[in-house]
Amino acid sequence: MRKPPVLTVVLGVFAALLAIAPLGYLVLRLLEGFEVAATELSRPRTFELLGNTVLLVVSVSLTALVVGVVQAWFVVRTNLNYPGFYAVVATVPLAIPSYVLALGYSSIFPWFSGFWASWLVLSMATAPYVFLAVSASLLRVDIAAEEVGRSLGYSRLQVFLKITWPQIRTSATAAVLLVALYVLSEFGAIALLRFDTFTRAIYNAYRSSFDRTAAASLAIVLVGLTLTILLLERRYRGDYLLQRPANSRRLRQELGRMQTPVTLLLALFGLLGAGLPMAAIINWTLVGSSSTDFGNLLVATLTSVGIATLAAALVSIFALAVAIWVVLHKTRFGGFIEGLLWSNHALPALVVGLALVFFGANVTPWIYQSIWLLMIAYLILFLPNGLAAMSTPLAQVPKGLTEVSQSLGESYRKTLSKVILPIASPGLIAASALVMLTVLKELPATLLLRPTGAETLATRMWSATEELAYAQAAPFALVLVIIAGLPALALNASVRKTYSEVNDA
Amino acid sequence: MKRLFAAALAAVSVLGLAGCAPSDTDGDFVVYVGRSETLIQPLIDQYFAETGVEVQVRYAGSAELAAQILEEGDNSPADVFMAQDAGALGAVSKAGYLRELDADLLNLIDPEYRAADGTWMGVSGRVRVLIYNPERVTELPSSVLDLAGPEWKGRVGIAPTNASFQAFVTALRLIEGDDVALEWLEAMKENGVLYEKNSAIVEAVESGQVDAGLINHYYWYAKGNEVGFENLNSEIAAFESQDVGNLRNVAGVGILSEDSRAKAFVEFLLSETAQQYFVTETSEYPLIEDLDPLPGLTPLDEIPAPEFDLNDLEALEETLQLIRAAGLI
Amino acid sequence: MSLLALSGITKNFGEGNVLKGISISVEENELVAILGSSGAGKSTLLRLIAGFEKPDQGQIEFDGAEVAGEQFVPAEKRKIGIVPQDGALFPHLNVYDNIGFGIAKDPNRASRIQQLLVLTELEGLEKRKPQELSGGQMQRVALARALAPRPKLVLLDEPFSALDAELRDRLRNDVRRIIRAEGVSAILVTHDQEEALSLADRVAVLREGRIIQVGTPTEIYNSPADIGIATFLGDSVLIDGKVVDGKVATDLGKLTALNHVSEGDSGVVAIRSENFYLQPNPSGDSEVVGRVFFGHDAVVEVKTPTLRIKARSNGPFAPEVGMRVTVWVRGAVNFYPSK
Repeated sequence: MRKPPVLTVVLGVFAALLAIAPLGYLVLRLLEGFEVAATELSRPRTFELLGNTVLLVVSVSLTALVVGVVQAWFVVRTNLNYPGFYAVVATVPLAIPSYVLALGYSSIFPWFSGFWASWLVLSMATAPYVFLAVSASLLRVDIAAEEVGRSLGYSRLQVFLKITWPQIRTSATAAVLLVALYVLSEFGAIALLRFDTFTRAIYNAYRSSFDRTAAASLAIVLVGLTLTILLLERRYRGDYLLQRPANSRRLRQELGRMQTPVTLLLALFGLLGAGLPMAAIINWTLVGSSSTDFGNLLVATLTSVGIATLAAALVSIFALAVAIWVVLHKTRFGGFIEGLLWSNHALPALVVGLALVFFGANVTPWIYQSIWLLMIAYLILFLPNGLAAMSTPLAQVPKGLTEVSQSLGESYRKTLSKVILPIASPGLIAASALVMLTVLKELPATLLLRPTGAETLATRMWSATEELAYAQAAPFALVLVIIAGLPALALNASVRKTYSEVNDA
Repeated sequence: MKRLFAAALAAVSVLGLAGCAPSDTDGDFVVYVGRSETLIQPLIDQYFAETGVEVQVRYAGSAELAAQILEEGDNSPADVFMAQDAGALGAVSKAGYLRELDADLLNLIDPEYRAADGTWMGVSGRVRVLIYNPERVTELPSSVLDLAGPEWKGRVGIAPTNASFQAFVTALRLIEGDDVALEWLEAMKENGVLYEKNSAIVEAVESGQVDAGLINHYYWYAKGNEVGFENLNSEIAAFESQDVGNLRNVAGVGILSEDSRAKAFVEFLLSETAQQYFVTETSEYPLIEDLDPLPGLTPLDEIPAPEFDLNDLEALEETLQLIRAAGLI
Repeated sequence: MSLLALSGITKNFGEGNVLKGISISVEENELVAILGSSGAGKSTLLRLIAGFEKPDQGQIEFDGAEVAGEQFVPAEKRKIGIVPQDGALFPHLNVYDNIGFGIAKDPNRASRIQQLLVLTELEGLEKRKPQELSGGQMQRVALARALAPRPKLVLLDEPFSALDAELRDRLRNDVRRIIRAEGVSAILVTHDQEEALSLADRVAVLREGRIIQVGTPTEIYNSPADIGIATFLGDSVLIDGKVVDGKVATDLGKLTALNHVSEGDSGVVAIRSENFYLQPNPSGDSEVVGRVFFGHDAVVEVKTPTLRIKARSNGPFAPEVGMRVTVWVRGAVNFYPSK
């Protein structure tokens, strides 16, 4: 195989170094402050946090599983009226950052806080991941096999458990692990709803200890939890995927008299996951519109967009370099770098932010509190997404075209720039756009690392919520959903695939 | 492709170069503000309007910023540190990062409200009060320690990450002892509902989420000014005389760098304009001699506060450890 | 009494397709084929019998009890086996567990599975996953799975359609043998007339939601109820004719009608391609214009003064292109008067 262009290798290695440096520094700090760390970790409080975190992760994962499977099953497998509409309803929470969901709820119900509140908000925020994965695999489960099961004397529930579930279990498990990772790294919603998990405790330890080793040691525990789940996820990801195409026959379970109750149930999920909190946000925006500081709103929007654009450009350049290296050249070293970068996708943003604050303040003061430290955080956090999104269009360029181009006498470099990249460019552009929209919504790392004086929509919203000033927070949240959430939903490839498959099936 | 790589290279080199701007002398003038942006930003804007000096402000909790300055050490980009309480300033001063202020500045205020070593000074005064909903709280507690009683379970709003609360706990520790303080904090884990900020506690009492809360007095005035005092559902009260719950404290300022803009900025904060701003806009107590607080406010020296040296608040680190030990943060 | 009896079954199955008053019965140990083109409603009929859907009108009785009509017995309570089109094996179970799926609680599960493995010639493949089986093997597993709980009736939904011709032939014989050996009744749904005719005891022709004709394969083949069936079942040539003196006068001469005819009627006769006899005759009025040779037989295209017909002829003796012939019609034909 041809050697990869030197620049791709340079950028890839640089990105990988960036990716491991802060975390490495975090560990170093821990070793230095070993005693403080040991004390911190042996506090009863740490175990309380561990208990809370595990409780939340497990309960949200299970709830998201049930909600997502129920939604997927009714949308894909029954003669529900307007299944396409309910597919949209089931995925629309993806457009709303979970801290905005949390804000929406607590602005309606002042008492909305603690475990149950966090459970509800995060379950609703993560159910779409299960819905997407399970509806995709449900569409590939052979309905005829389920009918055979019934003809062999099994009730519908038994058939679901013995025939359907084993076939969707893998994708459902993978989705649930994704949910677990999401909950572990979630910061905004949990902090807003005042439930003490690791992320909130890390943030508080960071804010209120002079020796930040405490925060660092809690962060390391969190990373440990994350890595455990990540390893599990790796085992399930992509394994035993049903390749059978979607059922051509339109066989759907008759709902009959259940049509209305089921419709109400799915509508209720939609209401809980998006309708109610968004109505609250819109209402507060209107209520407070007379006192809204539109100048602030505009500045925050421009700052957000500017920062996100820069981040997307950087992430895209690095992601493209690594993708070219990995997809088109498949060297072993490239695969190693990719794996290294990929493992970062589960790193809680709060931990990355924290690590970079330490790193920046002590090792690289010249970029400390500049936009570049924030960019490094985004690079660490979103390079995995960018890499995944960029690899697909590159991999889809037919190999034959490269060979034809070179047989026509074009150099490899020219082939890359004249054939491969132009063909892949729509996918690459969509990938960059998606990265940009994801960056717009990022909260914890932005909160810790933003340059002095720079306020984004997310941080503005955040500081208003700390004062329970809902009318002040709402417009920022609303703009965030409109300019970042909804476009991201529209660009999301698996969402689009599900919509079209649900409508075709 | 080449262009793309060129762009990448350019980006990387900018990334390297951008950091080279030194931040302590001729670069940005950076102020760390451990107070609410809503309260402070208008003052900063006014300063810019008067002097044309651009101020880069980083807003966060006072303790957080103190910790951050300690972490940053000599690399800190901050020129000035404005804190919500004397403790955060004291802690930074103790670590040796604050420069001694000029005597002409220090002498503008009563020695009670400044550091003994002259490394920080108060800018505005405030007192701790109990905010309560008179419909739900008919019998006022005589001491802040009474809030540990079981009848208060889940009824009291507190802000343990907030510097003013932390300063109060430091005072509690030093006056009543660590054991009493820890016991009280542990009780508050049961009785307290935790908020991030004083203003959130005011909102919570107003909306009926909690029946009472511990705040700095001016947050209640801010709410009253916003919605009209006649529309408030809450009232404020002091505890019995000398109770630690009535702690008198200052928001203050310290200088970290040699930047000449720092001293000018502190001078501005103690100018009549700024002090008047604290009086009329934030309902705080002015600290320079010629100004009076808002009519209706008990004068600062008549507050039934405990005898307490604000310099002692610098023992913030131990306080934070205690609050963390109680599981409140 | 019949094992299965459908009477007046009506079912709307979407986009204007309707089963209109289907009545049919299946006896013990009988193999009935339901023959129809796609969209005729075959699969819907099968799903109604299996209990996956409820009829809009009509009644189904199975094994002496009503299973649809006044009351409704769902699929899992009917004990009717099904073998879907592509086998629909459970992808997460191996061959052994697929077959044993319906007899989980049977104390003789192991011996029954073993028996079926032998019967379906699948021994040695117990541990294979469905993905590792050939098409024919999959269908045999599907059949064994359906038979395992000893149902009285199995439904076969186009079970051979995905297989290639040779395999299809072999599997048909296997299926027939297995079904006979198990002593079970079966309904085979197919669009392949050859399959229906070769396998079934009786064939029911389904068209546009109605059963047009029911009968033994010979009856159906020899006496199609209408032109549609006549052309559907094998190649037939349609020629105009008129009843004169009790015979049908056509351009190919006077032919004897199999069915009852009324004097003076005009209509068409359907002549199967194998019923033509091409007599080589240098002075004949017809000419061979095309010939497709298949080995054992050949299809010869002949131009008569008024017609163009396709005749099936014994392969090695088929006349060459360009030869002149006389066209004879062997045996009786079916006459369909126009309305």
